[in-house]
Amino acid sequence: MKSAGTERPKITVEFFGIPRERSGRSAVEVEAGQLGEALREVGQQLPSLEGECLEDGRLLPGFLVSLNAREFTTDPTTTLRDGDCVLILSADAGG
Amino acid sequence: MPVPPGYHGCYLHVDLSTRSAVSIPISTDVLRRFVGGSGLGTWLLLEQAPEPSWDPLGASAPLAFVFSPLVGSPLTTSAKFAVVAKSPLTGRINDSLASSHFALNGKRTGHDALLITGSAEVPTTLVIEPDGVRFESAESLWGHSSREATAEIRDEFGKHLHVAAIGPAGERQVHFATISHDARHAGRGGLGAVMGAKQLKALAVHGDRQVEFADTARLVSLSRDLSARSFGPATAKYRELGTVSNLLTFNRLGALPTRNFQGGVFEGAEALAPDALAPDKERTRDSCAACTIGCEHIFPLEDSAAGVRMEYENLFALGPLCGVADPATVLKASARCDELGLDTISTGATVAFAMECVERGLIEIPGLGFGRGEALLEMIEDIAARRDWGELFSLGTRAAAEQIGGEARGFAPHVKGLELPGYEPRALQSMALGFAVGTRGADHNRSGAYEVDFSEDFDRFDSGPEVIEAVIRVENEAVVMDSLILCKFLRGVFEDRLAGMAELLEAVTGWDVTSGELVETAERIVTAKKSFNIRQGWTPAEDTLPQRFFQEPLPEGASRAAQLDEKRLADQVRRYNLARGWTEEGWVAGELPAETGLDKSP
Repeated sequence: MKSAGTERPKITVEFFGIPRERSGRSAVEVEAGQLGEALREVGQQLPSLEGECLEDGRLLPGFLVSLNAREFTTDPTTTLRDGDCVLILSADAGG
Repeated sequence: MPVPPGYHGCYLHVDLSTRSAVSIPISTDVLRRFVGGSGLGTWLLLEQAPEPSWDPLGASAPLAFVFSPLVGSPLTTSAKFAVVAKSPLTGRINDSLASSHFALNGKRTGHDALLITGSAEVPTTLVIEPDGVRFESAESLWGHSSREATAEIRDEFGKHLHVAAIGPAGERQVHFATISHDARHAGRGGLGAVMGAKQLKALAVHGDRQVEFADTARLVSLSRDLSARSFGPATAKYRELGTVSNLLTFNRLGALPTRNFQGGVFEGAEALAPDALAPDKERTRDSCAACTIGCEHIFPLEDSAAGVRMEYENLFALGPLCGVADPATVLKASARCDELGLDTISTGATVAFAMECVERGLIEIPGLGFGRGEALLEMIEDIAARRDWGELFSLGTRAAAEQIGGEARGFAPHVKGLELPGYEPRALQSMALGFAVGTRGADHNRSGAYEVDFSEDFDRFDSGPEVIEAVIRVENEAVVMDSLILCKFLRGVFEDRLAGMAELLEAVTGWDVTSGELVETAERIVTAKKSFNIRQGWTPAEDTLPQRFFQEPLPEGASRAAQLDEKRLADQVRRYNLARGWTEEGWVAGELPAETGLDKSP
């Protein structure tokens, strides 16, 4: 049983566009302190995303993360806090 | 005069009033400086200007259909054409692009552009083939949709013809009427009304005149490589889902314009998601000629075997912007706009504006209000027919707001008269700058500054002076793509866009083209467009956004509380102007500045 001090942040990962199409899911829950950890966890939960949108905790080119639907990042060292939402989406917003 | 590979080295000038046509040479210097498409069309308009300023719906108004050096090459997405004219909606330059066999056959008539002036005495179909021009009566086609007219023209004159036509909205000179070819539209800015004013129902083209390419082996190799990359992840969204998939993304980001830009989140968005519009297995796909992406997603429609092409823009404009969450209504509204020949963005925005006017008590239109689908459908018909309130709203939101008066001006969603597309500017503040400075008005195809907002390098809510360079860079890239012409959905497949496009142009023309030259070309074309607008009466006061975006923060969602600062945007515009080499206010040096080459004869 984890102590309160070692609990990792609970993160909601949401999928849009191709990531949603590939995973067949709109969202999953993970525990991670950094974006790279969250993406690695997502890849383990949803192997269909590995090699398509993610690779070993990193986004593949053409994909982007929006943290809490506010700021965009691809940096796997981005710190995550309990309750954060990580949106994985297609980088090209054109239409 | 030697003609560079990729070109015919001339344009065809057709005068509908005198029923005459003459081929006019274009110098190699002009072709290299303005390339084709949007750029060459801008040069043509400035070169052939009947007077410094003119009525866009007058007989003398020039209307140019412009091809490009890449048309007819094996390069994917290169079968495109630009329609360039002064817009009746904005009074400013307008270049609208469309695709497919009209581009291929128009160029095969032996011309790099078709310039049309004058006005026909009766509804006319202009038939252009290499051996001549014919003026056929279109009286029996008047009132028919572009699809119907196209079928009838091909039945009567031959299936070899490829047709660009207007629908009833263009005939009645609705200020945001489209020109349609093969169910695709040169949509923005009302150039269908320019055709309608000339009583020109359709252009039908066919040809067999091929151009040579400078380095065929290299071109084939580049084409194979580009096609292969166009099947990759950079275009997967367009190919597999279509742009309609943007709706849920934008909604989650609080950037989905809703109820005439009163909000950035639509509670009915899930009902308009692609799977809700129609199950995947019920949709079909199509593509333009010479395209390997195939972005067109066609949704089934009751009482229509053809279905309806849905894109993010018609979905947002006829759905959330009008507060309508019923998929069947949105699909039907989109199909009716296609049939009537109405720009879906301006139509949706204009009806949404009318809805807000009603809800604020500024006008009375029984039954009209946000979320009322039947009223939306009725207003679309009224606008196309220019009857009842549709007469006023057929002029677009700027003109309607001027007549309604008062507070309506502050929430009429336009820049320079062109209605905003589906990018909420308070939530995408680099895009806000792109809207403000755009020479054809608020537009996501000519600016593309949303790319800056969707970047980890900038803050979409805090766009300061640091974004100027990036906004100009993406605008320059768009200008080059619109002049070559290539589909913007290819953007992601180039590692270095300008270098990649320079390589393609070099293989086609044999010119030693660098990315640096393409930057200069883009700057020249943007300045030429600005010069055009100045001639037509542009003032610095136009380069801003409606007051709503400065005074009303977004009320909810991920972009809650975001708003624009008017002084800050003005400062960005000033910096943008200086970076473009203009004055702080945006004036260019000289009526036709030397850097455009238009100060001397071609």
